Amino acid sequence: MHSTRYIFTFVLIMTSLVALVLALLSTGLKDIHKKNEAIFNKRAILSTVMKEEASTFEDDKIADVFNQKVKQYAINASGEIVDDAAVQAAGYKGGKAENIDMKKEVKKPVENQLMPLYVYENNGEKNYIVTVRGKGLWDEIWGNIALKSDLNTIVGVSFDHTGETPGLGAEIKDNPNFPKSFENEKIYNDEGEFVSVKVIKGGADPADQHGVDGITGATVTCDGVTAMMYKSIAKYEPYFQKIKGENSKPLGN
Amino acid sequence: MELLNLFIKSAFIENMALAYFLGMCSYLAVSKTVKTAFGLGLAVIFVLAITMPINWIINEYLLSENGVFGVDLTFLRFILFIAVIASMVQLVEMVVEKYSPALYTSLGIFLPLITVNCAILGGSLFMAAREYNFGESVAYGLGAGFGWFLAIIAIAAIREKIKYSNVPPGLRGLGMAFLLTGLMGMAFMSLMGIDPAAF
Amino acid sequence: MAEVAEKAVVEEKEPLFGSKERKLLTDPLNDNNPITVQVLGICSALAVTTLVSKAVVMSIAVVFVCAFANLFTSLLRNRIPKQVRMIVQLVIIATLVTVVELTLKAINYPIYKELSVFIGLIITNCIVMGRLEAFAMANRPWRSFLDGVGNGLGYGAILIIIAVIREFFGKGTIMDFGIIGAGSKFLINTETSWLFGWYAPNNLMVLFPSAMFVIAVIIWIQRSWNTKLVDIS
Repeated sequence: MHSTRYIFTFVLIMTSLVALVLALLSTGLKDIHKKNEAIFNKRAILSTVMKEEASTFEDDKIADVFNQKVKQYAINASGEIVDDAAVQAAGYKGGKAENIDMKKEVKKPVENQLMPLYVYENNGEKNYIVTVRGKGLWDEIWGNIALKSDLNTIVGVSFDHTGETPGLGAEIKDNPNFPKSFENEKIYNDEGEFVSVKVIKGGADPADQHGVDGITGATVTCDGVTAMMYKSIAKYEPYFQKIKGENSKPLGN
Repeated sequence: MELLNLFIKSAFIENMALAYFLGMCSYLAVSKTVKTAFGLGLAVIFVLAITMPINWIINEYLLSENGVFGVDLTFLRFILFIAVIASMVQLVEMVVEKYSPALYTSLGIFLPLITVNCAILGGSLFMAAREYNFGESVAYGLGAGFGWFLAIIAIAAIREKIKYSNVPPGLRGLGMAFLLTGLMGMAFMSLMGIDPAAF
Repeated sequence: MAEVAEKAVVEEKEPLFGSKERKLLTDPLNDNNPITVQVLGICSALAVTTLVSKAVVMSIAVVFVCAFANLFTSLLRNRIPKQVRMIVQLVIIATLVTVVELTLKAINYPIYKELSVFIGLIITNCIVMGRLEAFAMANRPWRSFLDGVGNGLGYGAILIIIAVIREFFGKGTIMDFGIIGAGSKFLINTETSWLFGWYAPNNLMVLFPSAMFVIAVIIWIQRSWNTKLVDIS
């Protein structure tokens, strides 16, 4: 039997030792963690326009391609581009669109939200990539949607999630056919009205330009995707209208 | 109302044992008879309901960037969570032993087992990951515990009956328990599509 | 000083890697397998076995945690106060798991994202705790270390077997390499491969319950071959 005093010293020494080791490790690896996270997100963004090619790139290549071909803007709810200072004021160090944490943004009232917009330019052709976020069955789901320069036709999408069921809800990410089915769908109908793209249970009519096939057994997640697409893209609408009005004027300045 | 939804959701739809398969070790080891399963189930409800709010406070006020220390201490999350769980279990054990020997004899032996029950730590980690508020964390703790309780009672009842069946020797006991849990899990999957707001 | 001298004597008597030590490594692979015989550490076994790559990473993590938790506990075994024994063991495990988590986050971020809370749940993986209580508290460091490695490997072996079966039948791939079904990269890379293209992935194998069925079948096979493990009660 040890004395109470011994127990206290033992526990004290042990916990401080452990805390010290972990603190050192955690601060030491923090920069790498941040970098990894940024690359992960950039890869997801690039994969909407470059498709499988993006997954074959090394980490450094992703950063290079992103810097060369992608311009990023932060947009507010009334469709204006805000400057770095405003993004910083919202609490994001770095002040760039890529620093915006959508998880925090979606909790704010819509009129105060900031949204990142990425413009990918390749061979003179522009693609607009918007970020979407919503709720699945268990937890949050999010993704990136790339649009052609007509701001109507979808070039590609990528989805991710925190805890959807493997084999069911998680198929939105794991099954490459699901994101693929969004390609060439349109978010505006013939009358120019915003309708977004719906995930339809039991399968969509191939002629339907605003619907894709749902995943069997994952109805709640699929409905979540439909709601997420509609709500999140609608937030970019004011901005889309603006650049459509300005027609071919270059973006940003 | 929101809290009631969360309770139902965590007990039936997101059942710890049958939808996430957490706490399987004690679930399989202590489900030979309904009586012992009942004791363990009660203890799990109890510990989940206590540790969840405590861990919520720790996570919110000590570990987060907006907490007392003002620095991001999330790397200490595992250690603090498990320390809280272990000490709570020990505390509960001592209190029960002192004030209710009858309860202690029926519950006491299961308490040390609970510290290493994944469902308890899993509950706290899910709570942290999903950013529940205080009320939600209490409701989630109770619901998750209740769901686990139901699951272990159900399997124990089935195992009591199946003891008299003629099972191939290799599958006797453990193998059968795995198969049954798989089937029960499939049955529970049909609850996944339910919208808890409908209750 | 006395302790050091005693240790030296003992080490002289016993070889560093004799038959007993080998048994520590091989026993957990079959006769005393953590998953199929001791029924420990099932929780994470089910969740991370949808893909082989996840199972491999998880196995490495568990071998690491198990081995070093055993080693440290064994080194401290005479100094740990009995009253707070469990908490001290848990702190050791939790620290190692945090180290694994931070390292994995730095080395392979996508896998870290996939495993999410299940890395944290290694803490409550009963194998680790069980070995600390049953072995490390009563044995010398080197042996405890081997015992940890052995149990980690025994766990990992089953994990990887389950993952191979589930990924193969559930997705038609192994380690993301298409074997059967559409997208097969085996022999002839074609969507309509006459050899393997006919297979439609069975989605049930990706779902949670299938892990239960696979483990049950593994137990069945193991017990019909190793009859001394059969449950006679």
